[in-house]
Amino acid sequence: MLRRLAVISALAGVVFAALPARSARRPRYGGTLRVEIAASIASLDPDVAAATAEDAAAKWQIDSLIFDHRDADGRFAGAAGSGAFRVTAFEAGKRAVLAANEEFREGRPFVDSIEISMGRAAHERLVDLELNKTDIVEIPPQDARRAAEQGVRVSVSQPDELLALVFVEHDAPRASGGGASGSAAGAAGGRPIALTDGEVMGQALSLAIDRVAIVNFILQKTGEPAGGLLPQWSSGTAFLFPEVAPTQADLEHAKELSKEIAAAGPLVLGYDSADPLEQSVAERIVVNAKEAGMAVRAQALAGSSAEKSRGGTLQAGHVDVELVRWRMSSPLPGDALRDFLSRIYAGPLAGVEPGAFPEAPSPEDIYKQQRAVLNAYRVVPLVWLPQVYGLSARVRDWKAPRPGENWPLADVWLDTDAATGVQ
Amino acid sequence: MSFAQPTPTLPKPWNDALAKLADEVAAAVSPTGVKLVVENVSSLDAVHVGAISEALTEQLRRHSFTFPATNSTAAQSALPLQLTLSESATEYAWVLEVSKDSADTTSVPAMIVSVSKSAFTEAEPGEQSLSLEKRFVWRQRERFLDFALSTDSSSGQSLLLVLDTKRLEIYKASGSGWQLLRSTPIPQMAALPRDSEGTISPKERKIWFKGFECVGDPDLTGAVQCKISPPSHNLVTRVKIPGLPNSLGTLVYGECRGETLSAYTGEGDWTQTDSIQGYLISFNPVSAVAVGDAIQVRGPVISLQAERDVSAVRVVIRNLKTGEYEAYIVTAACSN
Repeated sequence: MLRRLAVISALAGVVFAALPARSARRPRYGGTLRVEIAASIASLDPDVAAATAEDAAAKWQIDSLIFDHRDADGRFAGAAGSGAFRVTAFEAGKRAVLAANEEFREGRPFVDSIEISMGRAAHERLVDLELNKTDIVEIPPQDARRAAEQGVRVSVSQPDELLALVFVEHDAPRASGGGASGSAAGAAGGRPIALTDGEVMGQALSLAIDRVAIVNFILQKTGEPAGGLLPQWSSGTAFLFPEVAPTQADLEHAKELSKEIAAAGPLVLGYDSADPLEQSVAERIVVNAKEAGMAVRAQALAGSSAEKSRGGTLQAGHVDVELVRWRMSSPLPGDALRDFLSRIYAGPLAGVEPGAFPEAPSPEDIYKQQRAVLNAYRVVPLVWLPQVYGLSARVRDWKAPRPGENWPLADVWLDTDAATGVQ
Repeated sequence: MSFAQPTPTLPKPWNDALAKLADEVAAAVSPTGVKLVVENVSSLDAVHVGAISEALTEQLRRHSFTFPATNSTAAQSALPLQLTLSESATEYAWVLEVSKDSADTTSVPAMIVSVSKSAFTEAEPGEQSLSLEKRFVWRQRERFLDFALSTDSSSGQSLLLVLDTKRLEIYKASGSGWQLLRSTPIPQMAALPRDSEGTISPKERKIWFKGFECVGDPDLTGAVQCKISPPSHNLVTRVKIPGLPNSLGTLVYGECRGETLSAYTGEGDWTQTDSIQGYLISFNPVSAVAVGDAIQVRGPVISLQAERDVSAVRVVIRNLKTGEYEAYIVTAACSN
């Protein structure tokens, strides 16, 4: 017995030592993380405005890595380099190199440095990932499935970006005749809104558009049809705005509605000429509208402005309705909807008095606000898009950022034992 | 459907919400025969779904609604009520819709109530030859490294110690929860690593961090003094024990079938949910075998520390759904 105890005691020492204090799953320090993005950022100075929405979003991400604080307005402030990383090289519009801040208050990042290549086209980013020339790239959602089928390691967030149709002018019908064709269509806070010609057109378009086909064919099933202003995972009540493929009855209803308006010409649908997804969706909407007896013409708009992404008033005099992409600002449904409402009541519903929206809204408050907006048919939700990233095999602890979150590059570490190239 | 499990008692806020829902139905629809159809699109389990359904049925009965037997004539004309158990990013949302197919009810809007998810803590059953059971202890938004349940040596009061990189917070038992008693700053002896590790031992009155250790008196409830300490276990060559995963693990006090207990996490990374599996380690030859069912946790295990003198481990996880850090005591029981 004593001998057995002695053996166990001796072996226990080995066993204790064998139990990994730091297992393979625990992070490792070191290495250079390579990132490729589409944006071309001219300056990382928070006071310098970005040229496009895409640049502004990417700049925000990089600034979040190099600044530790934000001011009362939410803008990055303080010393550059007070964040998890500091800039060691920057070529405007081309390249940025960041080094780990050894003294960062939340702990030194795991990687030693980050190399960010800017202005890389979508196909270039994917090819570089496949050739193991980069570690993290943005992938357009419509390319996600193909990338995954090619063996690319893909990270897909919950759907958090709304692609929607927004009517440009409120109560300024571009068609004549017909007049108000509905009543008490809904209200923000109870004020009834009679349907104008433009709103009838919005309702007809909403009925005619095949959102399921957009998700299945254009987005290759990377996304969800949208009926409301918030996704189900955030609000919990999106199922009350169901979206299925239009039935024959829906198309007939759309035809009846469109007949109520004597159109002076085709409805002009604007989309961002630099966005292939918007172009494909716009062309699909033209086809859907035609099936419902409506004339819609897709019109490319040069240069998507940062203003458009921020949801300010859409200033495009020659278009009637425009495609917009609105990213949720928070996973919390109240905060995200509040942000959307500020865009909507400054844009398509400018002049309409919004209903009261409590500081801490209940799911019922959130549902009613959405219903009020949607019943006015000035905003027509189409699909929810996720954020998609391609990752090299050595990237560990990457978590697709949720709305309002930044790239978690201080938490990412590189597994030097991982196989390289496409998985 | 299985009725083997007892119907759980619903938290009061949940019963209140269901009563409100029934009130709204009564305000919108005259008492009549109804048929309740429940759809669960949330993370609630079937047991709780059944309990909610029963509670709402009872509330509707109090408003004189009746529930005709399924095959009766009255059932054919019963008003369908669709209850959808959903959830938002922050709370459960329960939606009751009066069927749109029914006459004179098309104008009844959806009725929505919400309840906090925090009122609900899942129970984890466990039964095997080596069974693991987890008990929820604590959760907070900020990351913490370790925790310990202790007893104040002078007052006999139950204490909870929660250690993060900068402070040791001491809570005293208060009703069914904990109340902050004291926050002790930890002197910073070195630059803070991002993957900080720390361990508490109230019995030894010590806290260990990577590179330094702290001593506090009495029972770590007062101020602490820290000093640089050499790394431990640096003289022993590590060996791989066949059968053990390459993950976070620890030996567990006690034996089962004459073999040494240990507990290990899964092998995923910190973006994935995790599990804790019990293993029996034999020494001749040295090998390990997984025994019993693993228990699942809702996020990666950040810390796994053995308790002294009891067959249990302290576990800190990061709940991927809420983003909060949670503490559990996982107890190993041998039932051979």
